[in-house]
Amino acid sequence: MAAFPSVEWFDDVRNIFNNEDSFRGGGGGQCNCVAGIKVGNEIFVLTFEGFECAGARQASLGDLDEVDFYLDMEILEWQAMIENIRQNGHAGLGYTLNTLDLDRDERLATSVHGDQYREDLFFRYNQTLQYFFDASSRIATEFAR
Amino acid sequence: MSEAEKLGPDYELDLGWMDQTGPWDTRAEESRNGLTLADIQVGEYGRVPDESDNQTGRPRGAAPRSGSYRIGNYAVRTKSEIWLDNASFLYEEALQRQWSSATDVPWHTIEPLPDDIEQAQCQMATFLTEVEFVAGDVPARWVSQTTPDFFEARQLLTAQVMDESRHMDVFRKRAMANGGGLMAATGATSGFVGSIDLSRDFTEMSARLHISGEGAVLTIFRMGELMAYNDAEKAMYRLCAQDEARHVAYGVMHMRYMAETAPERHEEINCYLDEAEAGILSGSANPAGQAPIVSEPLAILLGGGIAKFDEGFKKLVALRRRQIQEYKKRVVSAGFGARFENGRSRINEILEQAAAA
Repeated sequence: MAAFPSVEWFDDVRNIFNNEDSFRGGGGGQCNCVAGIKVGNEIFVLTFEGFECAGARQASLGDLDEVDFYLDMEILEWQAMIENIRQNGHAGLGYTLNTLDLDRDERLATSVHGDQYREDLFFRYNQTLQYFFDASSRIATEFAR
Repeated sequence: MSEAEKLGPDYELDLGWMDQTGPWDTRAEESRNGLTLADIQVGEYGRVPDESDNQTGRPRGAAPRSGSYRIGNYAVRTKSEIWLDNASFLYEEALQRQWSSATDVPWHTIEPLPDDIEQAQCQMATFLTEVEFVAGDVPARWVSQTTPDFFEARQLLTAQVMDESRHMDVFRKRAMANGGGLMAATGATSGFVGSIDLSRDFTEMSARLHISGEGAVLTIFRMGELMAYNDAEKAMYRLCAQDEARHVAYGVMHMRYMAETAPERHEEINCYLDEAEAGILSGSANPAGQAPIVSEPLAILLGGGIAKFDEGFKKLVALRRRQIQEYKKRVVSAGFGARFENGRSRINEILEQAAAA
């Protein structure tokens, strides 16, 4: 069982995401962006190329300068989202990425560079990003507290 | 007797067409994402003229046909008027990320809602159907006015028309899906939104439609997930937001191209932005604006009913702030950020006035 957050966890999710044809339709499809994931103080970088999430790596705070946007939540918030996805098979009404981005004082999706064109990639590829995290419903997750 | 038999065995083939080709021996190769428009920008075929004299519908790179009619009345024949550097990329993305309003929205998840919520959803659906007509009609008109030499931009606009068509039908479907129906037309297609179709210049149209209008609607679509009461509404708004973000990307990248290549038009473009900012919260064009016919249903949906209107209105004010913040950052990204530093833009003042009203 992979622990969240870790490269192993993201790799397990990538493996499901990259091999599921249904994620390539229905508003999903080619996606080209580099997304940061900030879990408390831990940073990960996901690279999406074409139909696949081509890579996941652990990174440092400075690497967030380079990503198109990053998703920033505390570990308990990430945990609540992932557990909700696991329970429903997909994100429930209060836990989709867009909802989390809008229904809080601090934005979920943000950037260091402040270039809205690049931040807009979070909106342009939102269904793909949602499919990616929804794929986590198919793996067991352990949370380090 | 068939025509072929009538010609007989001695008929001499003309074959003159075999000499009339564009550059030959072309071997475009597919890339990781298939054979994309970017992959066929090979040699002469990839050269986009700064000015086009093509009035005959000749595909770029094809051999001209002497004596052909002027079938197109192409007003847009200067590259900078319509160009953006990543048109091919955005076009392929548009093709790849299509969705069906019939089967990709889980309509079965819709259940009866309280009357005030259903009426508010139906009013929003009516409004969005109304404005998406404009968003589809206007790019379609510009497609027909643009020389085929700029086919990348034309095809991206054509893809936008398809997207807008789907937006029209998905909101119409939502209005009909849960015991309600269409409500009052809001008049959104007059005023600022209507003025988009009066634009005499593509960049003027793009500033109004892509940057101001669709930027504002993009925030509304995203906010739609917050005011959704079931998975169907969530999906509907999320998928529309994706499309809308691509249209906004057209506007930002076109304006960026203008910022870099057409300094003589900067003042004119700033005038378009002045107009867009003046209209962003007035009238009924923006549901987060001040007209009750659209702002009330939005606040009711965001709050959770008429009884929680005040709570919803606070969210609506936050939504306005976010619209304005994103608009400003897009204009900065497009290369026209100086207007926020030199005192030209009144957008902050407009936002404060709206909050105080």
